[in-house]
Amino acid sequence: MVHVYEFMWRVLHVLLHIHRTLITLFRIRLRNWNGQLWSRAIAALLVPIALSFPKQKKLVPAPGKRVGRRYRWGADGKSLEKLPDHIGLLIAEEEPRYTDIANLVVWCMAVGISYISVYDNHGVFRRNNSRLMEEILKQQQELLGLEGSKQHSVEFLSNGTDKQDHQVLSCQSVVKVLSPDDGKLRIVQAAQELCRAVEQMEKTAKDINVTVLDSLLRESKTTPDPDLVLKFGPVESTLGFLPWHIRLTEFISLPSHVDVSYEDLFSALQHYASCEQRLGK
Amino acid sequence: MSWIREGELNLIEKLSANILKAGPMPKHVAFIMDGNRRYARKRQVERQEGHTQGFDKLAETLRWCLNLSIHEVTVYAFSIENFKRSKDEVDGLMELAKQKFIRLLEEQDNLEKHGVCIRVLGDLTLLPLDLQQHIARAVVATRTHNKCFLNVCFAYTSRHEIANAVGEMAWGVEQGLIKSSDVSEALLSRCLYSSNSPNPDLLIRTSGEVRLSDFLLWQTSHSCLVFQSVLWPEYSFWNLCDAILQYQLNHRPLQKARDQHREGQALQQHEADRACLADLLQHHGNGKPLDAQRRQEALLNYTASREERVQDFLGALQHKRDSFLTDLTSQAALA
Repeated sequence: MVHVYEFMWRVLHVLLHIHRTLITLFRIRLRNWNGQLWSRAIAALLVPIALSFPKQKKLVPAPGKRVGRRYRWGADGKSLEKLPDHIGLLIAEEEPRYTDIANLVVWCMAVGISYISVYDNHGVFRRNNSRLMEEILKQQQELLGLEGSKQHSVEFLSNGTDKQDHQVLSCQSVVKVLSPDDGKLRIVQAAQELCRAVEQMEKTAKDINVTVLDSLLRESKTTPDPDLVLKFGPVESTLGFLPWHIRLTEFISLPSHVDVSYEDLFSALQHYASCEQRLGK
Repeated sequence: MSWIREGELNLIEKLSANILKAGPMPKHVAFIMDGNRRYARKRQVERQEGHTQGFDKLAETLRWCLNLSIHEVTVYAFSIENFKRSKDEVDGLMELAKQKFIRLLEEQDNLEKHGVCIRVLGDLTLLPLDLQQHIARAVVATRTHNKCFLNVCFAYTSRHEIANAVGEMAWGVEQGLIKSSDVSEALLSRCLYSSNSPNPDLLIRTSGEVRLSDFLLWQTSHSCLVFQSVLWPEYSFWNLCDAILQYQLNHRPLQKARDQHREGQALQQHEADRACLADLLQHHGNGKPLDAQRRQEALLNYTASREERVQDFLGALQHKRDSFLTDLTSQAALA
């Protein structure tokens, strides 16, 4: 009997994988077609084919032009009810494509997001920090042009050392590259610092509370916690992304960062704009 | 039993459960039971009724978990942020909790028979004293049971939990039980309220919200997150199966990520021990550099003594926490 169940389990998972693959294939195919109606028809066909379960908050990206018109990006940002102050781009895929990530960062800047963090759980971006920075600057020139690049200046924060309070000018964005070491390890380092202070009688154990710990973990007094994290890739997890800072962060999943379009990003931002936070009340 | 609905799965449910169980199953599932008030609005009943139905749904879900051989469940019942709600609602929730814990204590025989261990995670001192006492009695009475575990997060936020753990480690330093250099990720984990549980494999949030709301932020860094749009009081067995299916699809990559993280942790600990040893030798050594074998021996000794220190500290911490609960129960007995 056990073997029957095992067999049926395998069949179930094969069907689910086929479902996933079909969705991905059609998404790539339809990207080149401008027909919204067509994509909806195919999606409707697929749903009854595979077992359909209540959907999670996953976005099936709309097929559209890859490069939108740059002057509308700022206006798009202003048209949204709310825009995140700090967006996290969590790449949960094995092979990162620097150009696509750079595009995402530049679009976020153009739309008006002040703080942009890029994260992967292997620390690849951290190790290739300069390569990513170069790619972002290159894409900034390409997508925003010379004029646009002058208007939207970008500041890169390196790990921990840059604790200046910079003024966020109207078009200045801050880009930070994060790795798992910025998560739990950073909290442990803060804990060690506090314990050392207790050892040296500068503090007592009773002095330690959420506020004290938070001030140690804050990048600078002005850096807000991430309001929104866009997760790219099939893995449904935060994969160690800043555990302390994500207590109120909204998570929106996108299938992949490879060949991601501005429209994909913008529909995620629209989703975010419609979220209601009650903050416990 | 009022907290775990009696009953068995029907034929189709049993069949589906058996198919699911052929694959990897989560051993510990966490729930953010969101949507009680929206459900009450939808059904046009009182808010309090929404919360009561939410509790009934919890009892049913615990039954399903047991049927699916999931033996540990953690639920987010009341956040410290929820104290911001209207006095009526907060009082209503406290009253509901009190009634449920009193009922629980009346069913002690049943709890013993099923081996149910109840733990309450959070800052209990923020709750009314009589509720604290009921909770303490329930936790102490079921402490030794070990067939299934229910962790209820009450007056809880993850940040408070982490700050509390750091505070406990600082207390350990103050008492001279540990050194500040002993502080590590593993030690912090063991100072959290949830130290007696493994990390959740699966975290489910209902009602369509896609955030963690300060729940188990440390423990779920490599858990499978499933956000479902169903309102909590309408949760069904099939919703649970869907979530478990998601867990199974994510199982391998998450296992890999978790293993990588653990390896990194072990490496960091090793490096930290080496650095501490080097420091010690510099300050207390006789100036002569050690050969490789002596160095290795010294490192092993250092690691062993650190681990012994840490064990003693954790024992003292557990004792402190147990005493807090037993004091409450003896207060309750006297009252």
